[in-house]
Order: sequence, then C-alpha cells, then structure tokens
Amino acid sequence: MDSQFIVSMAIILATFALYIFIAVYNKAKETSDFYVAGRGVPAIYNGMAIGADWMSAASFIGMAGTIMMLGYDGLAYIMGWTGGYLLLTFLLAPQLRKSGSYTVPEFIGDRFKSNTALIIAALCTMIISFTYSIGQLSGSGVVIGRLFEIDAKLGTMIGVVLIAIYAAFGGMKGITWTQVAQYIVLIIAYLVPVIFMSLQITGNPLPWLSYGDIVGKLGELDRELGLTEYFAPFEKGTKWQFLALMFTLMAGTAGLPHVIARFYTVKTMKAARWSGAWALLFIGLLYFSAPAYAAFSRFILMTQVAGSKIAALPAWTKSWVDTGKLQIADTSGDGILQWNELIIANDIVVMATPEIANLGVFVIGLVAAGAMAAALSTAGGLLIAISSAFAHDIYYRVLKPTASDRQRLAVGRITIIVATLLAGIVALNPPGAITQIVAWAFALATGTFFPALVLGVWWKRSNAQGVIAGLLVGLAVTLAYIFAAKYGGFTILGIIDTGAGVFGAIAAFATNIIVSLSTKAPSQEIQDAVTNLRYPEQMTYKNGEVYMED
Amino acid sequence: MVRKIEKSVADGYFREKTTYMVIYFIIWAIVSYGVVLFAEPLSDVYFNGFPLHYFMGAQGALATFIILLFVNAIVGDKIDKKYGIDEKRNEEIGSKSTTDH
Repeated sequence: MDSQFIVSMAIILATFALYIFIAVYNKAKETSDFYVAGRGVPAIYNGMAIGADWMSAASFIGMAGTIMMLGYDGLAYIMGWTGGYLLLTFLLAPQLRKSGSYTVPEFIGDRFKSNTALIIAALCTMIISFTYSIGQLSGSGVVIGRLFEIDAKLGTMIGVVLIAIYAAFGGMKGITWTQVAQYIVLIIAYLVPVIFMSLQITGNPLPWLSYGDIVGKLGELDRELGLTEYFAPFEKGTKWQFLALMFTLMAGTAGLPHVIARFYTVKTMKAARWSGAWALLFIGLLYFSAPAYAAFSRFILMTQVAGSKIAALPAWTKSWVDTGKLQIADTSGDGILQWNELIIANDIVVMATPEIANLGVFVIGLVAAGAMAAALSTAGGLLIAISSAFAHDIYYRVLKPTASDRQRLAVGRITIIVATLLAGIVALNPPGAITQIVAWAFALATGTFFPALVLGVWWKRSNAQGVIAGLLVGLAVTLAYIFAAKYGGFTILGIIDTGAGVFGAIAAFATNIIVSLSTKAPSQEIQDAVTNLRYPEQMTYKNGEVYMED
Repeated sequence: MVRKIEKSVADGYFREKTTYMVIYFIIWAIVSYGVVLFAEPLSDVYFNGFPLHYFMGAQGALATFIILLFVNAIVGDKIDKKYGIDEKRNEEIGSKSTTDH
C-alpha cells in the first residue's frame, strides 16, 4: 500500500463521511421534504446544488479530455452545456414553478388534463434519467477501481451501495444540502490542479488569463509537427455537427427532468430566476477552467513527456498503461517517445494530469474525491427524478390516489433502490463511453421534453393529443437517428449520433403543432391556466380578468 | 386582499418581460451560434493570446451567458417592483398553491 493510496482514501472517506452526516441530519420527514426539500432552499445554495447535480462524471472526468482531443470542436460542449441555462431560466423554470407541480410529468399531466400524457412523460423521465445514471455509475466505478486497484466492476458495485443509501434515506432535502457540500468539494478539486499547472507553466496563478498564450504555442508546436493547429475549427466534424451538438446540449439542459426538478425546490418565480443565475456562475467556474485544463495537459504532454527516452519514462505511465487507457508504442524504433506515439484516452486526462505534472499526493487524492463527488451527486439527483416519476406520478397520481404519505415515501425509497441496482447492473457492461451515454440522454430530452414544455408553457392552443403525439414522435425520431448514425453510418450534413436531438426536436415541435391544430382546442379553464403562468404569483388570471392579491 | 386590476396593466408586465427576453436571446444566439457560423474568418483575429473564435467558445460566450442571467434577475426584480409585486406575498401564495397535493 503506497502513500498515494492512503492519502486518496483518507480524503475520499472524509468527504463521504461529510455527505452521509448531512444526509442523515436532514432526513426527510414529509413527502414534500422528500421531493422538493420543503421548498425552502435559498437561491444561492440552490445554485450550488444545481451545479453539483449538473456537473457529472462527464463534466468532471470527461470534458477536459474531450476538448484536448477535439480542439476547437470540443468547445461545443462548453457552450452547449452552459447556454442551455438561458433557455431553462427564461422559458421554463419560473413558469413551471408557478404552476405549483411537483415533477415534470405532473406538470404535463395537469397542463394537458391527460393521464396518458402524464404516464408517457413519466416513462420518458425514467428512460432519460436511467440512461444518464448508467454513465455516472460506470464513471464512479472507474475512479473507485483505479483507487483500490481493483476491477472497475467491483468499484461500480461499491458506488451503487453508497448512492442507494443516501438517496433513499434523505430524499431531495438530504440531497440538496449534500449537493452543496459536493459542489464545494468538486470545484476545489478541479481548480487546484489547474492553478498549480498554470503556476508551473506560465508563472501566473490565474489560469483563465494565462492559457491563451499556451493555446497559441500549441498551434506552433502542431505546425512544427505538420499537424493541423489545435485551435483550427471543424477538423473533427462538420460545422453542422458542431451546431447540432451545441443545440442538442442546450435544449437537453432545458428539458432534463432532474435539472428542472431543482427549480421546484425554490419558493417563488423570482427565486427560480436567481437560482438559474447563481447556478451558471458556479457551473461556469468549472467550465471556464476545463479548456485551460485541456491546454495545459496537452502542453505538458507535448513538451515534457514527448521527446523523452522510452526507457526512462516516469512511474505514472506504467499504472495508466495497465488500465488500457494509455498506449505508448515506439513505432519509429528510435527509443524516444514521439507525440504521435502517445495515445491517451479522453477519460483519463483529468485523472492522470496531476500525476503527469507531479502535483503531489494531496492534489491527486483531491481530484479523485472531486470525481466521486461529481458522479455521486448527479446520480443522486437522477435517482430522485426516477423515484418521483414512478412513486408520485404513476403510483400516486394514477394507480392509487388514496395512498398515504407513508406509503408514497416507502414506494419512493423502494424505487430508488431498484433503479440503482438495475442501473448498476447495466453499468457493469456499459453500452458506450461515459460521454456518449450522457449525450444520448441529452438528445432524448431535446427530442421529448424540450418541445413539450416550451409549447405547454408558451402556446395555450397545444392540447393533449398534440403533446402525446409530439412526445412519442420525438422519442422515436431521436432514438432512430442515434441508432442509424451510430450503427448504420447514416448522417445528414455530417451530424452524428450526439447531435441527434436537433432532428427529434424539429419532428416533435412539428407534430405537436399540427396535431394540436387539427384537434379540439383545450378547455377555457386550461387556456386560462396557461395565460396565468405569464404573471407573478400575486397576479391571477381568470375569465379574462386579472386579480392582484396585496 | 384580492382586487381586480386592468388586464392591460398585467399585459404590460408580460410584454416588458418578454421584450427583454427576446433581446437576451438575440445576444445569446450571436455569441454562440453566430460566432460558430463565422469561426473561420474570426480565427485570424487574436485576443489575449487566443484566436478570437477559440476565445469566444472557451470564455466569451460563457461569460456573456452568466452576465445575461444576472441582468435578467436584476431587471426582473426592477419590473416586479414597478408593478408593485411584493416578494413576501409571493412566498405566501407560492407555498399555498402546492399544499393541495
């Protein structure tokens, strides 16, 4: 057992002890505590919780590596995963908060007065959140497996047990405060190595200001090697793929049930507005740093690792070569490692760079704890979304409206445990890379909830038939495009599976509008309720009149 | 106390908010989609060591998004105040509207 293992383990255990303590301390007592944290979370903390909920294994572990590999084309992830907060905060969050519903499917069920729409929306929520959580569980498995030097599958199982315990125990209230703690852990863990690298390479402690020159230098290094420059646009995909991916990630953000659920935990429309702003500020700290992380990693690899003697490579190379994620082959046979002889997988860039840059055992351990916080916090929010879709929307709203508070809580907890176990089993043999699985979840949200919610809130003429047809067509088109692009090599304008959401969204908007217009308009009561969402809580719209409560 | 107000007043509130929202979305689209569409010509311009298209993708768009969200929150509060909306009352009404579940 080396000192690195002991330090990493100690940091991870200390942070876990903190999360579990918070979850137990805030144990849910009522149903509203369980799903919406009693609606008493202040905007700034809710912003941090949204940040932790939002930043998953894909953001923390995968994104910097993806940008390092894709260069400019990887920046679609930076803009896409942040720009969606404007769609969410302007178009949906305050209005959904005013509607007073608990969950996204419940809003759809009430808005369209249709249990069929409610059930379809609940099923979509479960499909999207389940897909997403598989990525998180396999991500935590990689981290735990690397740490204990055990099989990633065993690591996944340990992660499953941990997540099931605190999600089932605390519900949303426990999770909200746990996620605040997780945000703080993960952002410190991400910023410390970037700041250290910035000091090491540029002597400037502010990576965001200093890495511009490094990006320029990377371009020069590439030119010397005869490669296309790091920052050259559209080298790894077409411009249309960039735009489609960016749109899919933005609209998916606005349509993800577990993110929207966060906005139900605030008190008012005003608090929803501020939560969105704080959330993006906190998320932005990591997203501003990811391209810097990518540039510094690539710079260190190109200048310090490439060009060294293969026989004299440092110790970190061996442990990562053993994971199969790093390949070193002296194809030129000169005993010196060239840049093009080094193949590094996206997913290990963030984890391995602190070792490569020799930042010390403490920083390496901190990054492992941050990666765990990112994976677990997102998985927790996803499981609450799955649990509420089943226990609240399907069980309570449709199957057994007479169910007591206690029965609903019990069903909610059982759903979490079952969903965690199922996701864990799939995660043992994941159907794709972490970022790929996560991108599919976004494409599905873009093709289903984004059109349904935007039309539901902003167009009172949209009716039950329209939304049902729209959800089903959007789901089918998105799934079909993902499979056709991934396995059949079918593409339009070079748009691959990760950009599939754009076609799902177009099809769903068109279907919803055409079907709504060719069937009966919703009742006056529903249309009034939709108009009512335009105004703040104090104003109520009824029968063409507006009433103000002073 | 519940009192009736002119529909035109309520609509003024909604129109004002929607107008600002449209402005925010236009800026949002220019800094993200607009820059990507013109990435090639912008790559010849440099800013703080970055080619401009790269700077916008890595920092410029994101900074604009954050500013827009805070501007929206502050302007939204101002509009609320102008129309006499009291956040305390909103909280009371907001908590009432959900107890019937």
